[in-house]
Amino acid sequence: MIYLQLFWEYFKNYAKTRLTYRADFWIEVLSDLLFQGMNLIFILVVFQHTQSLGGWSQAEVVFVYGYFMIPYGIFTTFFNLWNFSERYIVKGEMDRVLTRPAHNLAQIVLENMDPPSLIGSLVGAVIMAISGAQLGLSFDFTDFLMMILLVLGSVLVYAGIYIAITAIGFYSDSPTGIAPLMYNIQNYGRYPVGIYNKVIRFVLTWIIPFAFVGVYPASFFLNMDSGHNSPLALLTPVVGLVFVTAALLFWNHGVKRYRGAGS
Amino acid sequence: MLAIDVEKLQKSFRVQKNREGLGGALKDLLRREYTEVEAVKQISFQIPQGEICGYIGENGAGKSTTIKMLTGILVPTSGKVEVGGYVPFKEREKFVKNIGVVFGQRSQLWWDIGVIESFHLLRKVYRVPENDFRKRLDELVERLQLGELLNRPVRKLSLGQRMRCELVASLLHNPAILFLDEPTIGLDILVKTEIRDFLMGLNKEYGTTILLTTHDLQDIEALCSRVIMLDDGSIIYDGSLEKLKSNWSKGREIQFQFAHPVKKEQMDSWTEGLNVQWRPENDLTAKMWLPHSVNVSEALSRVVGAAEIRDIKIFETNTDEIVREIYQSEKVSS
Repeated sequence: MIYLQLFWEYFKNYAKTRLTYRADFWIEVLSDLLFQGMNLIFILVVFQHTQSLGGWSQAEVVFVYGYFMIPYGIFTTFFNLWNFSERYIVKGEMDRVLTRPAHNLAQIVLENMDPPSLIGSLVGAVIMAISGAQLGLSFDFTDFLMMILLVLGSVLVYAGIYIAITAIGFYSDSPTGIAPLMYNIQNYGRYPVGIYNKVIRFVLTWIIPFAFVGVYPASFFLNMDSGHNSPLALLTPVVGLVFVTAALLFWNHGVKRYRGAGS
Repeated sequence: MLAIDVEKLQKSFRVQKNREGLGGALKDLLRREYTEVEAVKQISFQIPQGEICGYIGENGAGKSTTIKMLTGILVPTSGKVEVGGYVPFKEREKFVKNIGVVFGQRSQLWWDIGVIESFHLLRKVYRVPENDFRKRLDELVERLQLGELLNRPVRKLSLGQRMRCELVASLLHNPAILFLDEPTIGLDILVKTEIRDFLMGLNKEYGTTILLTTHDLQDIEALCSRVIMLDDGSIIYDGSLEKLKSNWSKGREIQFQFAHPVKKEQMDSWTEGLNVQWRPENDLTAKMWLPHSVNVSEALSRVVGAAEIRDIKIFETNTDEIVREIYQSEKVSS
């Protein structure tokens, strides 16, 4: 519960900081949405040329994309860790974090949170609703609860992968190029994995499980007769928990190797 | 009770060796070579509660590394370390509730928002009850005269104002032990004095144990009953400042600027019988070196009586000089 209070305090400070730079705020929201919009337009353009993609209709692919935007928005709100290595390890800000009585990763997450990204989640929900209506999907209360559970699972998958990647900073002196690589791979998870070859499918399911932030959980809500429902959907929270646990162990071990900077 | 108990504490870093040239870089890529650098070598010391202890040494002597091990930031390679009854790196989150840390070169306050907002956030992080927080904050604000600064964003504060705010930030949870890493670096003499007085009061009133590193001997003189000196990762002195000075600093230097040119023989003749040495810098200026055994006022009065003086400067040996002297003399004893 203490972390919920801390979240609120950090959020207030974030808001105060941000209100001093108002233009910045709107530009960020806009560029976020433009980026997502481009991807969506890409999907629409592809379907100008074909009726289906590996058996998936346009509305279904857009539905999956809408789902993907929800965990992605939550993830970018909290795991804005791109400059971790430079800011906390090279410049040594980790020193300050480690002398405060709250878990270090929690502090870092809260210090860097970026709530405007949540607008992307909202847009994702709207896209899901629209394409869901096109597909004639019905949403009842159980679906709603499942939605929360699956989104949480997807966020954990994301968090696990990126916490682990960020923690590499503790082991390697120089920032690695692995984060941009991951950033590209994650794009594959938002399209039906059936369209890829076996190896890529296996990797996206079990090694770097980005399929669990998009297509698998989203397929749970598709119609039975579409034939796309993946039995793996219900595994999403489990995969999320496994990855986040492993990543936290890796992180905590990394913190012990932290060497501080200079003076 | 001991506030800090350190025994045979050691920290070594593995540093990658970089070979020369492009060929060397290629070799490094394939097979890396590492060297072990011992930043802190088997040091032992105990600090009882309520003591103010100065921790000095040259840059790179291992001061910060020690402080970082004592505050739980770094995990020691070997040895025992106990601070306030905790092993710092093991129960870090519980342990840090009892300590305050100020790194002079680094800020713990939010850059863009009012100082008071940072304090409120720290109150939550340290879980200080609202009433205690109010009382404590009012007291600290009054003592350090921060009244009108509280609502200003940190980026608009001067270094002196910021440092006073940093002190408040590190003391809001009333820690039993306070670690200060170069708290007076870059500050003007007024702020330095203010901070020294404040720390002294804090120690008297609350019995706060303070460990500080500094390059300013006057910090030590004003505050510390005890000095620990580090050189190349080992403790080379642990005791009172007085003893350190009499042991190691052999004297002081006075620079004179004369109204008329003076020859070295003349200078020597003025101070005949006194054990001082003259070192002319040019026709009009010269430096006189006095050992501690020589009375300053006597030497001064003899020179002033004999020549017309434009200006006088007295140079006290500072920490760095003492450290350098010790280092050069290589007479390591503790």
